[in-house]
Amino acid sequence: MDQNRVILECKNLCKKFDATIAVNNLSFSINQGDILGLVGENGAGKSTLIKMLGGEHVPNGGQLFYLGQEVKWKDTHEALSKGIGIVHQHPLLVESFTAEENIFLGKEIVKNQLIDNRQIHDQATEVKKVYSIYPNLNLKQRVSEMSAGEKQVVELLKIFSYEPNILILDEPTASLPKEEAERLLHLIMELSAERNLTVVYISHKLEETFRICNRILVMRNGENVGLLDKKDFDRDKLIRLMINYDLKEFYPAKAQGHGEKILAVKELCSDTLTHINLEVNAGEIVGLYGLMGAGMSDLAKTLFGLRKFASGSITLGDKCPEEIHTTNVRQMVDKGVYLIPEDRLRYGLVSTFNIRENASLAHLKHYFPEILVNTKKETNLAAEELKKIHVKYSDIEQGISELSGGNQQKVIVTRWLLRECNILIVDDPTVGIDIGAKRDIYNLLRDLTAHGKGVIFVSSELNEIIGMADRIYTMRDGKITAELTADRINQQNVLENIL
Amino acid sequence: MINKVKKVLNNRELFLVFIAIVVFFSMTAGRFLSLDNVANILRNTSIGGLLVLGLTLIMIAGDFDLSFAGAVSLLNLLGLIAIDKGMNMYLAFFLMIVGGVIWELFNATLVVKLKMHAFIATIASLTLSKGIIYWITKGSTFFGNSPDSLTFIGRFTLFKILPFNTLIFIVMAVTVYLLANRTKFGRHLYAVGGNSDAAEYVGINVNKQRIIAYILSGICVGVATVTLCSKLATAPSTAGDGFQMQAISAAFLGAAVFKLGQVNVGGSILAIFILTTIENGLIMLNVPFYFQYIVQAMILIGAVSFVSKKSKKGEGPAIF
Repeated sequence: MDQNRVILECKNLCKKFDATIAVNNLSFSINQGDILGLVGENGAGKSTLIKMLGGEHVPNGGQLFYLGQEVKWKDTHEALSKGIGIVHQHPLLVESFTAEENIFLGKEIVKNQLIDNRQIHDQATEVKKVYSIYPNLNLKQRVSEMSAGEKQVVELLKIFSYEPNILILDEPTASLPKEEAERLLHLIMELSAERNLTVVYISHKLEETFRICNRILVMRNGENVGLLDKKDFDRDKLIRLMINYDLKEFYPAKAQGHGEKILAVKELCSDTLTHINLEVNAGEIVGLYGLMGAGMSDLAKTLFGLRKFASGSITLGDKCPEEIHTTNVRQMVDKGVYLIPEDRLRYGLVSTFNIRENASLAHLKHYFPEILVNTKKETNLAAEELKKIHVKYSDIEQGISELSGGNQQKVIVTRWLLRECNILIVDDPTVGIDIGAKRDIYNLLRDLTAHGKGVIFVSSELNEIIGMADRIYTMRDGKITAELTADRINQQNVLENIL
Repeated sequence: MINKVKKVLNNRELFLVFIAIVVFFSMTAGRFLSLDNVANILRNTSIGGLLVLGLTLIMIAGDFDLSFAGAVSLLNLLGLIAIDKGMNMYLAFFLMIVGGVIWELFNATLVVKLKMHAFIATIASLTLSKGIIYWITKGSTFFGNSPDSLTFIGRFTLFKILPFNTLIFIVMAVTVYLLANRTKFGRHLYAVGGNSDAAEYVGINVNKQRIIAYILSGICVGVATVTLCSKLATAPSTAGDGFQMQAISAAFLGAAVFKLGQVNVGGSILAIFILTTIENGLIMLNVPFYFQYIVQAMILIGAVSFVSKKSKKGEGPAIF
């Protein structure tokens, strides 16, 4: 019976990049008509796996079977023309083209050697009608003028126009507004039921995955750690498979008390923040949490001196009692306030530097006041500090881009901790890094507070902030909406105050 | 009201600029609109125009070429030497075009196969061309013997207003325009320059497209050389230099019209006309020669900042 025919099978698939093993001996099979959820932490290997299924990566080992035959995709186009299409999380579109030009890129309809724009428009309109996710999409609009959600729809239509047998979706609803996300989910379920479309669905939204998938493959460290059928779907079980720890044991123990005040912010106002009042005491991890755009990152940058504020003051505790009304980075760094920024690739690392150069960057002037930098001293200094948080590298002269995300982040942490801090502000420090590195960073932050320092922890992950913070300030629209202390820290209270 | 005007303009503001410039010069410089002068403008546009056509194709693909002016000087020299030694003129012309292709294939090897930065690679080949030229000429202009018919293309004018070489330019311009904007090849070329990952994903051979762009530009360089040779009948060591800045400026200026922020064929064609018209107008006004440089520089600055300001992303056309 068609329903149960195995459409795709992987046997012992392996993929490695230099020293990192991204996918390790992975085997599983998909039946036609399945909607298979693919879940796992960032770095678990999900993207690498689907790229092998779709022809973007060539496996280093193992076999791939499609419709019963072994296949070794030459490129994505071959996979696409044979029926396997990947809808990327970040759409692969030519910005200067219109939606319909992008949809028909590579298969433009031609009449007498010239492109038939009329036909392209007509056929694109057909595709839009058949795969109705967003009827109001203007096919003749330039992609560069579209919102992230609209771009995602164009990408979807592009792949749909190839009428694939297997549709691989990488976090498709991440940038879609609610209504369109709903329509997409309905469409997928409909296509699966009526046309036996097979879907591989990567998502971090577990509720969504439970809703539409009939099976879930859990990956961890590049391996298949569980293949669950719908009847066995269980949230706790899934999370435990994903991170291999009981959530309660995952975070280090919280502080039992705290010392004197080391940071006081009074009535701080800036272009995006209003009437910010907060305090940090020695030994505390203070959490900042809210929806995207609520102002946490702006506040972090303002405290660090990266952004200006118009009114209010910052005091750094009894040791520096004078009120600060204007800040700049150099001043805050000299006072021992450091910021580890979000998006390490964009704001943290210098990609052309090696490990040593990245590690020493923040405090170069302090350690090398003379004109020349003593490379030997620099190396020793950096190596010692890097060892403390278990950074894995083969050579300190190695290019920073060769390191894994977790190790890169650790280098940035090292960069600042090369000199003692008073307050460390961290903005989403564990995004996109593996479990082991996350734990190392959590332990490091606790260690800092155990030595009397203070930490301001901005996070976009609810469980993380609940697990790590001794106190939480919730934010919304540039204002602080609540201060939650120890016993009041739970999911409900936090969510209540950010909306 | 503003929106209606904007819609009609639709990134075609440069047309208005062109008209304004023509009006300005016709009022301030005597004989600007005379048959002779217009023919002169058209004749001068042809060479720069052919060069910018080739450059535009390369830039659409996301690459760059700084060496075309050097190639023109060199091929012109070699061609005239061959003619002087008795080679048939038409054969020499044909070989100039072949030479242009070979030259750009050399560039393509550096940029596409050896993955050098287009900017650096073509600076290198430009310098190489100059080296070869000076090696042969020691700096002096080569005169050589050539048949009288040599200057036919360069100097003959149809109906007193349409120079023959402009006809050649028009044919090439229309062809390249159709190629870039109406064929699959052209569409794929824009894709390669716009997002090579997206192009690769749907099976477009990115490197092949880039190489073909260089080859096509080689043909343009060759034809430009034939046109120049026919006009000059001599080979100064710096024959092509005057067109370097002009063609590059025209390509960037062209990104301000029709496809804002994106180098395009239509824009380049309009731009080269604007540039040669301004150059001619300034000469007619007896403006000192150095003023030309200043004006050209300001046009380039103005064009790129206009494009940056108006582009959604705030980035100019990318050449790096």
